[in-house]
Amino acid sequence: MAKEMIAMLLAGGQGSRLYALTEKLAKPAVPFGGKYRIIDFPLSNCVNSGIDTVGILTQYQPLVLNEYIGNGQPWDLDRLYGGVHVLPPYQKASGSDWYKGTANAIYQNISFIERYDPQYVIILSGDQICKQDYSDFLKFHKEKNAEFSVAVMEVPWEEAPRFGLMVADKDDRITEFQEKPKNPKSNLASMGIYIFNWDILKKYLEEDEADPKSENDFGNNIIPNLLRDNRRMYAYHFNGYWKDVGTIASLWEANMEILDPEHSGINLFDEDWKIYSRNSGMTGHKISAGAVVENAMITDGCRIKGTVKHSILFAGVKVEKGAVVEDAVVMGGTVIKSGATVKHCIVAENVTIGENAVVGAMPTESENGVATVGAGVCIGDNVKIGPDAMVRNDVEGGEE
Amino acid sequence: MNANTSALGIVFPNSYDALVPDLVNVRLMASIPFASRYRLIDFILSSMSRCDIDNISVMVNNNYHSLMDHLGSGREWDLVRKNGGLHIFPPFVEKSAKPYTGRVGALANILDFLRDEKEKYVVITDTNIVANIDFNDMIKFHIESGADVTIAYNEQELPESLVKNQSNDLGYYYTFGLEKGRIRKIYVNAKDTGIQNFSMNMFVVEREMLIDLINTAFVRGQEYFERDVLLPQLNKLNVQAYKYEGYIARICDMKSYFDENMKLLDDYNLDALFSGGPVYTKIRDDNPTRYIEGAKIQNAMVADGCVIEGEVENSILFRGVRVAKGAKVKNCILMQDSVVEAGANAEYLVMDKNVTITAGKDIKGAPTYPVYIGKHKTV
Repeated sequence: MAKEMIAMLLAGGQGSRLYALTEKLAKPAVPFGGKYRIIDFPLSNCVNSGIDTVGILTQYQPLVLNEYIGNGQPWDLDRLYGGVHVLPPYQKASGSDWYKGTANAIYQNISFIERYDPQYVIILSGDQICKQDYSDFLKFHKEKNAEFSVAVMEVPWEEAPRFGLMVADKDDRITEFQEKPKNPKSNLASMGIYIFNWDILKKYLEEDEADPKSENDFGNNIIPNLLRDNRRMYAYHFNGYWKDVGTIASLWEANMEILDPEHSGINLFDEDWKIYSRNSGMTGHKISAGAVVENAMITDGCRIKGTVKHSILFAGVKVEKGAVVEDAVVMGGTVIKSGATVKHCIVAENVTIGENAVVGAMPTESENGVATVGAGVCIGDNVKIGPDAMVRNDVEGGEE
Repeated sequence: MNANTSALGIVFPNSYDALVPDLVNVRLMASIPFASRYRLIDFILSSMSRCDIDNISVMVNNNYHSLMDHLGSGREWDLVRKNGGLHIFPPFVEKSAKPYTGRVGALANILDFLRDEKEKYVVITDTNIVANIDFNDMIKFHIESGADVTIAYNEQELPESLVKNQSNDLGYYYTFGLEKGRIRKIYVNAKDTGIQNFSMNMFVVEREMLIDLINTAFVRGQEYFERDVLLPQLNKLNVQAYKYEGYIARICDMKSYFDENMKLLDDYNLDALFSGGPVYTKIRDDNPTRYIEGAKIQNAMVADGCVIEGEVENSILFRGVRVAKGAKVKNCILMQDSVVEAGANAEYLVMDKNVTITAGKDIKGAPTYPVYIGKHKTV
């Protein structure tokens, strides 16, 4: 039985620019938005778009991600035929390889894709926050009779040099591809989401693999090769919310934008496009008498006795009496002890912030960094962590 | 857990429905919402699940659509098993079909099932008690005491609503006279004041013995296990009392439903109830709750999926509740997806699912008499 389209989700990235947050887990597993992980977005998009077969390509620190995905049940991806499959690199009869690049990761799993005999394959990236209907994308791909389509976003011209850009004609047919050019000819940035006709993708993957000089990368090798051969390539315009959360600053910003759905365009309160996640199973959160909660997202298991303003709190966060949390992203299980101040920062999971400690500071003209505290770290009583700090290890009282 | 101590569970989700007629109008006792995101049966199923009791039969009688919807395949409680798992037994429909009355008739209906199972013991329970029970400890007690039947009880005063009620039409409750832990007297619908040995209607009994007892009782046309089977045989059977000393919330009437929810606003009680481990429930995939600029919230327990713009004080909010700007909610229980519109005032209310209080309305109950508003109603 053939599937019309299956998804291959690239989730092997280290996310090195997230530093302390990705020391022990892959970027797609980074918690986001109070109760989600980044990968919940592409997975939920797949299910909501009617795609029931997803291969997740993992490589870097896959343990947390593997456990999180499990049998795929939270996303309704536990299927008899298809469903979600985690695909790490594996040993073959003749040698074995890590995934050398994005294209090579798919190449090594050609046999997985062929089990489903799909007409189309959608390549997704596991490090973006985006609600997108892939079935609409596929409709476009079919209407254009395309062999390859890429989802693009219009970006401001001054930012265009930071992206891979698609130059397209009036009919959206791609004529040129520019990777981070100094002089952009287009402001259509590639979102790194592609639909291929499977026969075309397979052909180019095999060709690419045979080329010893190739970096085995979609952007650097496969797309230029398709252009060289004058394939039918189209740019699909997406104008919803999209954010690459590859840096601490952009991750923090995307979290803050959830607090302002009316302006930012990311609405998690969308009954028609739910984002699914694995549940914490904790009891409802509790806000005590004397607590102050303003403009915040709070989820199960939290206990709030202090002040929480303009912040996102994940499951089981405790904010003790007299503690102040502002403009902060505080991940699951973290305890903020009495009198502590946590501002303009990201605090990872299971951190303890000691009494009267100070983490981060509200931005000023000279300093506007987002302080980051890695998972499981203990910040001692009275310790002060500056606004640009990146804390990976325990800090005892008296240190700075 | 070895085969010698393994047990299967039997749950009676309709027991004591008559005590809370409003709340069971469109459901049954087991599916009454509790503690911001649970249904009463979640506590029993989670306790059993934690004790490796993974062969559970739910003896539904009537009004059970909401429960079927809630339980689904039983996955949330880890009850999708090749051996055992979750079974739902409605009354067997034949020409003379009628609902179960007591436990005897219901259990007689599943004797063939019971004969085929492998577990040595059976744990039988209702769902109107919220507690975190270590059934393994109870089974251990049962084995060590050499009992034929063990019944759990706690020491508490009888609720006023039961003592004041002079008829038996609300069903039967039981208190015990004990002699060194052995039950020598079972009092039916006692009216005594002061601390009593109040039965929790949770039993441990060997499966083979249960089959024998039910077989005999059913032939004799008996209905109630405690009243008709155990009470007359207290000299013959060794019936032991297992004292439960943990946190317990009994739902006996609307007042106790309200009070037991509100008690969880005290962290001490909340920790006591949930300290035993996670309590599982049906997942709704709500987003986290959003507090919008201007919201004021004091002493409240809130589930996911709510949007709070107004003021909330001393209240329990279930999933998906909306409190609009300028609305005030005080001492209320707001069940799933209920809405308090702009400028409305709600005090001492129990709002069932999907209730809407329209803008500007002022609705108040009293501490001694919380006002209940039925499912899907708009005020």
